[in-house]
Amino acid sequence: MDPPGEAALVERARRGDSGAFEALVVSYQALAFRTAFVIAGDAADAEEAAQDAFVKAHRALGRFRSGRPFRPWLLTIVANEARNRRRTRGRRTALALRAVVPGAPAEDPEAAALASEQRERLLTAVERLRDDDRDVLACRYFLELSEEETAAALGIRRGTVKSRTHRALERLQKELR
Amino acid sequence: MTDLELELRNLAPHLDIPEAPPLAGAVLTRLDRHRRRRRVLLVAVAAGVTALAVALAVPSSRAALLRFFHLRGAAVTAVDRLPRLSPGRPLGVPIPLGSASFRLLLPNGPRPERVYAGDGGYWLRYRGLLLFEFENTNGSEILKKAALGTTDVEYVDVDGEPGIWIGGRHALYLPGGPPRAAGHALIWQHGRLTLRLEAAVGREQALAIARSVR
Repeated sequence: MDPPGEAALVERARRGDSGAFEALVVSYQALAFRTAFVIAGDAADAEEAAQDAFVKAHRALGRFRSGRPFRPWLLTIVANEARNRRRTRGRRTALALRAVVPGAPAEDPEAAALASEQRERLLTAVERLRDDDRDVLACRYFLELSEEETAAALGIRRGTVKSRTHRALERLQKELR
Repeated sequence: MTDLELELRNLAPHLDIPEAPPLAGAVLTRLDRHRRRRRVLLVAVAAGVTALAVALAVPSSRAALLRFFHLRGAAVTAVDRLPRLSPGRPLGVPIPLGSASFRLLLPNGPRPERVYAGDGGYWLRYRGLLLFEFENTNGSEILKKAALGTTDVEYVDVDGEPGIWIGGRHALYLPGGPPRAAGHALIWQHGRLTLRLEAAVGREQALAIARSVR
């Protein structure tokens, strides 16, 4: 569900109000960058992909159907840009774990080390999956996109999101054995 | 939600994802630049119309110049008859993809089958598609084309950069060679580079390929 007032912003942006489009960019830049980063795995590529996506979205506003949610529509463009960059590079840069989570409460050092090891093992297993399995898991669980948004981002049907997620989880389980 | 799904969700805050940079300024600057380019393009079209009016006003040139299109490093003239055209000639010296003097832009999809250095730029040969890229440093026109006045020639917009679509057979003049027969082609600017795509595809497909180059 789009935030209240967003449909009006989109409508104003369509009519050429650059302030309205700026407000949309500010609202969605974090999501766009994060999505592009999770797909492309590189900060410079992600920034470029997100920027290009907003420019393309602006040019395509005329084709945007009034009343439709803006967020999945934008995600389609962002994810497409990010995948193009990943394809051009010919490889994906694997995601990594933060060294320390800022503001995390102090834990038992032994338990913290174990948890960190488990996270490392899980992330390594995710990164070993093929791109389409890895992407669907990243969208659903790392970016917490809905099935509809995941479908939009990956350019697949909602039913395929369900089946692909199921398949990817099974493959991940095997990787972890 | 299964344990594995929960573990994945709990992993998210631990991922090393950088803070999103502010994008609005850069995006708005690019949109503004795009608007300015469109204005320049409109002026160029107006200049072309004036050239046409001048050409039609002078009886001796009525048979030759019908329309004129211009891009950085490339010009297309619409004429009433094409010169004698030679078949294709070698594209140049084969080189590895990474050894061009600038980073070659590639369309989305498979990598080129061969890359050649020649004609002041680089030819990238794909199955059913030929891409020519060059950097126009001295302002001269490397690509010159003549198309029949009846051929579909028009200015197009390739993601904010100006381009020219030629939807038919035409003559391609490259430095130092005879005019070569060419088919459907799209020429467009991309940053410092000028690109030319030739393939047996329609305008929309050519534009989609052009928009995918990175």
